[in-house]
Amino acid sequence: MTKPPSGSETHGFLGEEFITWLWFRWETSGGEFILPGGRVIGIAIDDFLTFAAPSDDETEHTLRHGLPTRTEEARTALRQGRRVHSARLIVAEANRQWVATLDGATMQLTGVKLPEDAEEVESDSDRTADRVANWLALHEIMKALYSIFLRDRLAPNYRATGAEQQAQWMMQ
Amino acid sequence: MAALRRSGGVVVFFWQGKLPDPRDAAFAEAMAQRRFRTIENAASEEVSIGWVTANDPTGDSFAPEDFEAGSGHWLRVRIDKKTLPRKWLAIHRDVAEKAKGKKLSARERRELKDEMSERLLPRVLPTVNLVDAILFHERKTLLLFATGKSVREQFDKLFFETFAIPLERSDPLSLAQKTALDREQKAALDRLEPVRWPKQERSERIPARRTRTDASAEVDA
Repeated sequence: MTKPPSGSETHGFLGEEFITWLWFRWETSGGEFILPGGRVIGIAIDDFLTFAAPSDDETEHTLRHGLPTRTEEARTALRQGRRVHSARLIVAEANRQWVATLDGATMQLTGVKLPEDAEEVESDSDRTADRVANWLALHEIMKALYSIFLRDRLAPNYRATGAEQQAQWMMQ
Repeated sequence: MAALRRSGGVVVFFWQGKLPDPRDAAFAEAMAQRRFRTIENAASEEVSIGWVTANDPTGDSFAPEDFEAGSGHWLRVRIDKKTLPRKWLAIHRDVAEKAKGKKLSARERRELKDEMSERLLPRVLPTVNLVDAILFHERKTLLLFATGKSVREQFDKLFFETFAIPLERSDPLSLAQKTALDREQKAALDRLEPVRWPKQERSERIPARRTRTDASAEVDA
């Protein structure tokens, strides 16, 4: 029996599709995104990747360390049509870089590391303000990337365009 | 005051409705109504949850400037929990059973626990958990720096008790609804089903590349 996607009432599957799409875009387009306002964001998948179990009888598949996206196990999982459950992402904008693990079913971020504090901050209150800006920026970036994904995913011709290209990539 | 954390997990919440502006006294007053109250000397096992500020972990003072944190406002919840150490209880029960020469009944065990609680709990220090959140008033967005279910629910409840406004936790659907979708996209979102990506048979794996038509035929959008 096929296991329903986790968080089906909250469209958990959509978050998992989002991570797979990020991976697809990273490998096929270099992972660069132009956000509204001309902000250029770079995305890459780091050293942690989990594939959801496709059924109750099968296991979740976790790949850690090194470059999990380059492994044969990861390619096999994609060829088997498995959903990416979570991934550790590197998010970059100019000289700022965030690292965070995104859980697709909940869109929750764990293990976040913000960019280094700005050199000019001196007091704790300045440091807090800088970090608040970085936390907000990460949220806004993820929201904007999700919005770009949704434009693709909700397009009437998605099946013939984005989905087809992604299916080709998954089969490689 | 130490700086806000630079790492960890975060849960995003949204709200609808009118929340007092954190720069106004009304906000600080609402927080003070639900301020943290100490259980340091309490003689019962209990949990105390309430607002404090990053400047003052006692919950005794709230001023609008205490919440200022650049583009957001810094909220802090203090959760203290006092528990009778289980090993102490086990040791005392053991002593009582040895003196009696047989196992204690359920009633005797309960009486022993009550007596020990009364005697020992005032001497037990509570565990202290400080949970931070950043509120972005104009965006109606709150970032909570705790991902555990229990803390998340306790925060959610305290926020509601303080402002009478429920928080809505971000998930793939609610986040999608917050993005700028047109009417057609919103309708498509409501009836969206997971993509069933094509599965390659094991014997087909290498060389792997399928034709465009083969792959697309199995995509169920």
